[in-house]
Amino acid sequence: MATTSTLFGPGRLSPEQMLAPSPTALLRRRIFGHRSLMFGALVLGLMLLMGLGAWFIAPHDPYAQSLATRRLPPIWHAWFWDDPKATWNHVLGTDKVGRDYLSRLIYGARISLLIGVATMLLSGIIGTTLGILAGYFGGRVDLVVTFLITTRLSMPVVMVALAVVALYGSSLEVVILVLGFLLWDRFAVVMRSVTMQARSLDYVTAAQAIGCSTPYILLREILPNILNSLVVVATVEMANAILLEAALSFLGLGVQPPLPSWGLMLSEAKEDMFFSPWMITLPGICLFLLVLSINLLGDGVRDVTAPENRN
Amino acid sequence: MLSYAFKRLLLALLVVLTVSGITFTLTNAAIDPAKALAGESATMADIEAIRKAYGFDRSYLVQYFDWLGGALTGELGESYRMRRPVSVLLLERLPVTMTLGVCALSFALLLSIPLGVVAALKPNSPVDRLALSLSVLGQALPTFWFALMMIILFGVILRWLPISGSDTWLHFVMPSVALGYYATPAFMRLTRAGMIEVLASDYIRTARAKGLRPASVLFKHALRNAVIPVVSLAAVQFGFMLGGSVVIETIFALHGVGFLAWESISRSDIPVVQAIVLLISLFYIVLTLLADLLNAYLDPRIRVA
Amino acid sequence: MMKHWAIAASAAALAVTWSAPDAAAQKSKDTLRVAWQYTVENVDNYFNTNREGILFSRMVWDTLVDRDPKTFKTIPNLATSWKWADDRTLEMELRQGVKFHNGEEFDADDVVFTLNWISNPENKVINQSNVSWIEKVEKLDKFKVRIISKKPFPAALEFLTIPIVMYPNEYYAKVGPKEMGLKPIGTGPYKVTKIEPAKEYTLERWEGHFEGGSKPHAKIKNIVIRTIPEMSTQIAELLAGGIDWAWYVPTDQADRLERVPSLKVDRSETMRTGYIGFDASNRTSNKAINDVRVRQAIAHAIDRDAIIKNLIGGASRKIHAPCFPTQFGCDDSVATKYEYDPAKAKKLLADAGYANGFDLDFYAYRPRDWAEAIMGYLTAVGIRPKLQHMTYIAVRDKNHEGVTPMYFMDWGSYSINDVSALLPNFFGGSPDDFARDADVQKWLAAGGSTVDEKVRKENYSNAIKRITERAYWLPMFSFVTNYAYTKDLDFTPFADELPRYYLYGWK
Repeated sequence: MATTSTLFGPGRLSPEQMLAPSPTALLRRRIFGHRSLMFGALVLGLMLLMGLGAWFIAPHDPYAQSLATRRLPPIWHAWFWDDPKATWNHVLGTDKVGRDYLSRLIYGARISLLIGVATMLLSGIIGTTLGILAGYFGGRVDLVVTFLITTRLSMPVVMVALAVVALYGSSLEVVILVLGFLLWDRFAVVMRSVTMQARSLDYVTAAQAIGCSTPYILLREILPNILNSLVVVATVEMANAILLEAALSFLGLGVQPPLPSWGLMLSEAKEDMFFSPWMITLPGICLFLLVLSINLLGDGVRDVTAPENRN
Repeated sequence: MLSYAFKRLLLALLVVLTVSGITFTLTNAAIDPAKALAGESATMADIEAIRKAYGFDRSYLVQYFDWLGGALTGELGESYRMRRPVSVLLLERLPVTMTLGVCALSFALLLSIPLGVVAALKPNSPVDRLALSLSVLGQALPTFWFALMMIILFGVILRWLPISGSDTWLHFVMPSVALGYYATPAFMRLTRAGMIEVLASDYIRTARAKGLRPASVLFKHALRNAVIPVVSLAAVQFGFMLGGSVVIETIFALHGVGFLAWESISRSDIPVVQAIVLLISLFYIVLTLLADLLNAYLDPRIRVA
Repeated sequence: MMKHWAIAASAAALAVTWSAPDAAAQKSKDTLRVAWQYTVENVDNYFNTNREGILFSRMVWDTLVDRDPKTFKTIPNLATSWKWADDRTLEMELRQGVKFHNGEEFDADDVVFTLNWISNPENKVINQSNVSWIEKVEKLDKFKVRIISKKPFPAALEFLTIPIVMYPNEYYAKVGPKEMGLKPIGTGPYKVTKIEPAKEYTLERWEGHFEGGSKPHAKIKNIVIRTIPEMSTQIAELLAGGIDWAWYVPTDQADRLERVPSLKVDRSETMRTGYIGFDASNRTSNKAINDVRVRQAIAHAIDRDAIIKNLIGGASRKIHAPCFPTQFGCDDSVATKYEYDPAKAKKLLADAGYANGFDLDFYAYRPRDWAEAIMGYLTAVGIRPKLQHMTYIAVRDKNHEGVTPMYFMDWGSYSINDVSALLPNFFGGSPDDFARDADVQKWLAAGGSTVDEKVRKENYSNAIKRITERAYWLPMFSFVTNYAYTKDLDFTPFADELPRYYLYGWK
């Protein structure tokens, strides 16, 4: 979006540019005009609110169990099938040990968001650093990074997760660390190729020519140009991490009960899906909305900030 | 060029050694192979007897080099659990996983390429938006949830498709869709972008100017050029699918390499695990090499390294 | 109005969903399609370790003696009579006129070869404790053998009933375990027609099966067994009519499958006992659990009746002694009984100095909701449990490393009806022993080294009294196995968790 390099100071505007709307106004117009971006941001914002305000919104403690009131059906069973066990006290029913389902869904937003953001940050830092270094310096550095990437790709996530869980048990921290230390490959690959392209741009070579230090060039010239791709990969990986946690929970390697993670709730409900379909559908829809909104947000940001990259 | 090839070969060797070394240590440390082999009702005496008999009491280094020595001569060893040669086991299981991967990829391509072409012909139109929406939807579903939903609908309620096993091609329909749908958006976007770019290019304008019919212009020239990046992405996605097949193979009881890997790691069947990881790493080494060569070929700027 | 429409719609959906599957077709094909969750990696009886392996063995091979599934008494099979010549010597007469699937005749050579082969440690048979008691076997006559054990071994007959099957000596000597795992040959009611290892097994009724043994001729002609690792897939197949028989169905699903018109559900109690083990010997770093009052507090804090009623169901019963009630030596009367009393639990904790509770790592591998229910009761009295849910092997590993202050495990005793198959494992001083009580070890050793029933009972009762007094274990309940199968099948479950497919027929 920044069309003038900061290296030569704030760009001088032509008369036409001075009369046109400012870049920020233009950007704002583009953001609010982009429908899927707005939808994504809205849903994600709602989920964030739900997660942060769970304590206020949730009707019950998501950990409070009561074997006597286990497996209560949701409220619509009272409307359609006259089931006396369905009550407004537990609108969406209760789970296998009697915990309120709605409360667990609400608190689940926290866990999923936490996993998504934490993993994305961890893997993003690792992968971006490696990718930029490889793309900029090339040569031996590139070879080392390629070695690391290939090594990482050859180790299946499930295998590493299984081994780590067998050694340390599974928990929220283990999941975040395992995913964070494994999902950096796409960051590295994309950042590497984008950096290689950016490196050969005119003003970068000019900066090198006038002798700017490497950290300066990396931070002030390369980074702004690859930010766009970084955001896209970050959203993809965040969505990926959230879905992977669900898959790990399915295999029994995810977070531990009684944590209300949507992935775990899905996994716990799978045997029941024929008889109590709401138990597997509701967390599935929640995950779906979350991942969808993240993807739409990422796509939208990319569209809005660099329309020429729109694909 | 030769030094480049030599460097890559050395790299490949290093990767294989590192990966197999890490895997070996990780699997051994995570689950005691003697206990895994002895099974659930085993007494301590049983476990110790197995430990001695199978050589698990030797140091990791000794055991690893034992395996390595064998592997270098093509002798992949014998599965502890099944007492059969690992190579035979892999050859038995590979067809299922390959079939699954190919079918999943075909499904993804069959769905995404037409969608991408249609979307490219009328960019930013309602058709374009619809195509984009359809593809994005698939990316947001957990694969196993999608698979289970399909089982309920097509297997239990409608009874159109068989649920588990791998006997007929019908058995592969649901697993392929579940596995392949996730890759559809990426392919679709790539096709669309490639088509838009190529359609606007000089090459196509010249073809049109020469008076060639639109349909032939489309299919013969544009598609062929736009498909190149899709091909390289397909190779990468194929790799991911092989990795993600564990969940699908478990749900649909397809006894392929994915499920074998899962079971072998859970039961510390080290020869099998080592062989599978070896296979995967060789696959990725070849893949990254091809991808890099392709990139260098297409974009001369990148060859500066 | 909405309600009626909805009821009609759901009724229609139910009718479409659960109309009778084509079980008639399977019955007319005389094929029983069975699903197992766990693979039998190698069908050779001596190289697999799971229950499904035993099931397979029983169809294809025979043991010298067998167990009556209802009375648990030892009955003749390939051996027609036996007697103890002395403390270590068992003499057996063998049945005549028995043939193997490949036509080989069964005689003393097969018994001698099989037993000597499996007890030789060089052959690396997986469950050594099943076979290591044998010193040597001698042939006395064409149909008479003498089995000599290394030490007096009272449970010898028990071990000869299930885990030790007879192999054909000429065939096995020629092909060894590798081929036996791919082309099994035995004397049993079923012969193997096709094996896709670990994936699918096809068996066919063998018309040359011998008369007079413990197993009748098979009724169903064909059995196809498939490994389907995911339980929800098995349930889907049951509903869609893709398989005819499944077991280990979770209780909640069993309840619902029962309402499906085309299926039947059986809930059968098994010999498997669930228990909570505690570190009473300072092996872990958890100080609290070492105090007997804390352990007793936990025993009082858990409402076992509620768990049994709500989560296990069926014929599960609360057990007080650390063994299954029918096992020889399992004396319920001397066991200390802990009733559900959270107030008493809190008081005991306060007495021990933990009025504010303490942190506790809780290891489990069974269904999560059971573990969660247990944790809920602990939380209610102020303890702060943290769940470490992993695979069985991983938990056992951690046991041996000595890092598990509290763990929920179970033991099937390999279906052997004698406490010597259970107590010495966990209280005999091995890495599984978290009590390290020298007296208990002494009593268990005494009980296992004589054939005098009175002496054995006395020693085992002493051990049980000490174990429950000091709450080394909290015995929980007996496990119930749930079976779901097509209603066309005439099926009976047994308490030893070993379905005998050759007994079942079509209705």
